[in-house]
Amino acid sequence: MSHTRRDFLKAALGTSTLLSFASAAPSFLARSVMAASSRRKERDTVLVVVQLSGGNDGLNTLVPYEDDEYFRNRPTLCLPTNDLHKIDSAMGFHPRMGAFARLYKDGLLSIIQGVGNPNPDRSHEVAMRIWHTADPVRLNRQTGWLGRATDSVWNPNETNVRAVFVGPIAQPFGLNAEKVIIPSIRSLSDLTIGQMPGYPDHFSKIKSTAESHRKDNANPLLDFLQQCKVNTYANSRRIEAVTSLSASKAEYPSSQLAADFRTVAQLIRADVGIRIFFTEFGGGGIGGFDNHANQLGNHCALLHQLSESVAAFVHDLKRDKLLDRVLLMTFSEFGRTIKENGRRGTGHGSAAPVFLAGGRLKGGLIGPRPSLTDLDNGAPKFHTDFRRVYATVLDRWLGFESRTILDKQFKPLDILNV
Amino acid sequence: MVAQIDKPAAHDKSIRIHLEVTEKLKDPAWAWAVYKPDAHRPWILPQAGHLYRRAAFGATWDQLQQALSDGPQQTIDKLLRPQADIAAFNHTYDEYETSGTGSVDSLRAWWLRRMILTPNPLLEKMTLFWHSHFAINSAKVKNARLMQRHVQLLRSQALNSYRGLLGGISRDPAMLIWLGAEANRKARPNENFARTLMETFTLGPGNFTEKDVQGAARAFTGWFVLMSQLRYIHREHDDNIKKILGQKGKFTGDDVIRIVLEQQATAQTLVRKLYRWLISETEEPRAELITPLAKSFAKDYNILKIVEKMLRSNLFFSPAAYRRKIKCPAEFALGIVKGLEGVVSTTQLARDLADLGQNLYHPPTVKGWTGGRHWINNATTAGRHNLALALLQGSGPYGDKLNPRAVAKKHGFSIPESTARFLLELFLQGDLESNVRDALPKIAKVSAGSDGGDLAEPVRRFTHSIVTLPEFQLA
Repeated sequence: MSHTRRDFLKAALGTSTLLSFASAAPSFLARSVMAASSRRKERDTVLVVVQLSGGNDGLNTLVPYEDDEYFRNRPTLCLPTNDLHKIDSAMGFHPRMGAFARLYKDGLLSIIQGVGNPNPDRSHEVAMRIWHTADPVRLNRQTGWLGRATDSVWNPNETNVRAVFVGPIAQPFGLNAEKVIIPSIRSLSDLTIGQMPGYPDHFSKIKSTAESHRKDNANPLLDFLQQCKVNTYANSRRIEAVTSLSASKAEYPSSQLAADFRTVAQLIRADVGIRIFFTEFGGGGIGGFDNHANQLGNHCALLHQLSESVAAFVHDLKRDKLLDRVLLMTFSEFGRTIKENGRRGTGHGSAAPVFLAGGRLKGGLIGPRPSLTDLDNGAPKFHTDFRRVYATVLDRWLGFESRTILDKQFKPLDILNV
Repeated sequence: MVAQIDKPAAHDKSIRIHLEVTEKLKDPAWAWAVYKPDAHRPWILPQAGHLYRRAAFGATWDQLQQALSDGPQQTIDKLLRPQADIAAFNHTYDEYETSGTGSVDSLRAWWLRRMILTPNPLLEKMTLFWHSHFAINSAKVKNARLMQRHVQLLRSQALNSYRGLLGGISRDPAMLIWLGAEANRKARPNENFARTLMETFTLGPGNFTEKDVQGAARAFTGWFVLMSQLRYIHREHDDNIKKILGQKGKFTGDDVIRIVLEQQATAQTLVRKLYRWLISETEEPRAELITPLAKSFAKDYNILKIVEKMLRSNLFFSPAAYRRKIKCPAEFALGIVKGLEGVVSTTQLARDLADLGQNLYHPPTVKGWTGGRHWINNATTAGRHNLALALLQGSGPYGDKLNPRAVAKKHGFSIPESTARFLLELFLQGDLESNVRDALPKIAKVSAGSDGGDLAEPVRRFTHSIVTLPEFQLA
């Protein structure tokens, strides 16, 4: 098949109306994809959740450099004030998080301080379970909050996947749903249609399938499956088209997290209906953020990767004018103790900051700075219930009904320009 | 519904029969009466394929041909009560499961292999049904040995007595660990098992109160799981009077099971669930249809009898059931494997089925797999397409275990046209609208091209086109 631009677009996007948009502009595909997505009345927002496994040390991520308690408690782990990326007169980002600081200054990053829950638990498994189920009381809760969110928007004629996990580990419980199947994706090829070697014509087959109208419309299941097949093949072409054209453009660091973000960005660009992406950093299980000994170097490397990868993702989306549709949020099962232990590490804590990135943030530092003297078992206390953050992203961002997903109405935070 | 549907006269006739049958199905007595083929409802290939999709995991060519000559009753006899030495087969597999690594990953693989090779596929089909019904997730139990025994229990009672199955379940360490009910103390009765028993295993929501749960929980006190072993500690049993579902007495756990099984709601709930598994998931069956079966089931809770009643019925062989169910991932993949008479790596297959939403030994919640349309979305459709590709392409993780060209030849179909017809009949019993069939790539044309006359590759591609059709996703 000769890939003239016209043929290619026709094959890739399948609507003739798009061709007029595509005439001669250099970034024709990006535009066409945008045009394709604007067919919908409203363009759907997207949530990207980043799990930091192991319990991230919030105090060494966003450092309270004006507080003597910080230096007193952390003789070897405290970070030198001069190297910090200061965001105000009290707080500064870790020295290797310059990219986060720049995003913050540009209004593309917000920080909610002191996020936690009223029943904090210091075991990784239980604490993570609480973040996943959004239920600090019923620990045998069967579904994750994003699984319930996805179930709540399912309808019997919808064939698009609404949530996916992107990453190499087992799917986190936050996505466990009662009804819908939420896929785990290691690469884009998990969502595209593979071909038998030597297949004569990729597109002609898809076309013939798509064009075969069945007479037997008495069986609703057959209709549904047919519609899903056509839609799957169309989505596959969109993903392939986006991949082949934008692969070289965006620059990402070479890490697993960055690779996962690139995959997420491709899927957002392909506009295949996914509203929720879940990614993970730290390796799952008791993850890389769990630094009981010699924390400094390891934590530094993780924060640098996180900061650079998120920034690459934000810039990639911003260039294609997609950032306004995207909200990224991090979480970790708990923060850490203020006092370092005898092994240059820290213990399991409770409250921690949540980072948000995206194009529609009000920006800034949200919520009061947790005190370093009024502590909960040696760790900063929470003041913002994590379910208020969930309610914010569900109600205000995704437009889902948080009350049914979280069992009651938590007050959303006023942090978004929507 | 039959192959002649394309001729206008035949089409009109089939519509008329369809309407007649729909009318007759309104009478529950007729619906559940034994199907006897006649000129209007002949015993033909699509019927045989339908039976093997529901009562097994698909069929081989020989099985379909044998079914055609045996007729429905004898074919169902064989599925319900196979002649082969089932006990010996299952004993061998039980030993495979308990030797070796004994991990849950290996249990998943052995089970899939059992599904492929068993002389009693209906037993595995029903074991899978009960697995989803009791829905224990190994991620919580974290003990492969207990999980192995749990599924063994399901298998031993799968077509036997629901009373026996429930009795076994109430003393199954895996179940108690799964529900966090390892300690049922007199002073602190654990309500998890009692509640799940009533809500999910028997009565269904709305048919009991919290007081019933509390009474039942007290009756189950004394049972513990200590070091993965079930223990009964008499001094921890609450021997006082309990009130459960209108009855009063010094009840034990066994009494609770007797009492919940006495409730009509239990039989109703189970018959509805079996209906959805064996007959149709497109609409909720009317109460008039369910009640006669529920009444009969409530008498003895004999599972084989109720399954037999459903499989032999007019309703089962009617348009109301035909292709009115979406294949679960295992049915989809094993249908390909069975038809092509091979055995593939089930370790790999277990992982691939998990990606399609059916991770054996790991049902998503206490409610099991919801299934139906939920099996299908863009990701699982691409996943099924790609899994079929991996199974059929003759290289890669599944190797060259399935060769459709060789299977066609073995059964005497060698030229392109007859090979194509063979595969359509094997996988869809030829029941495909002509315009859809026309859209499939023609083997003959392709073979004249780059493959130099060798049909093996084009036949693989043609097979792949068949198993990715919407029709093939229907059970």
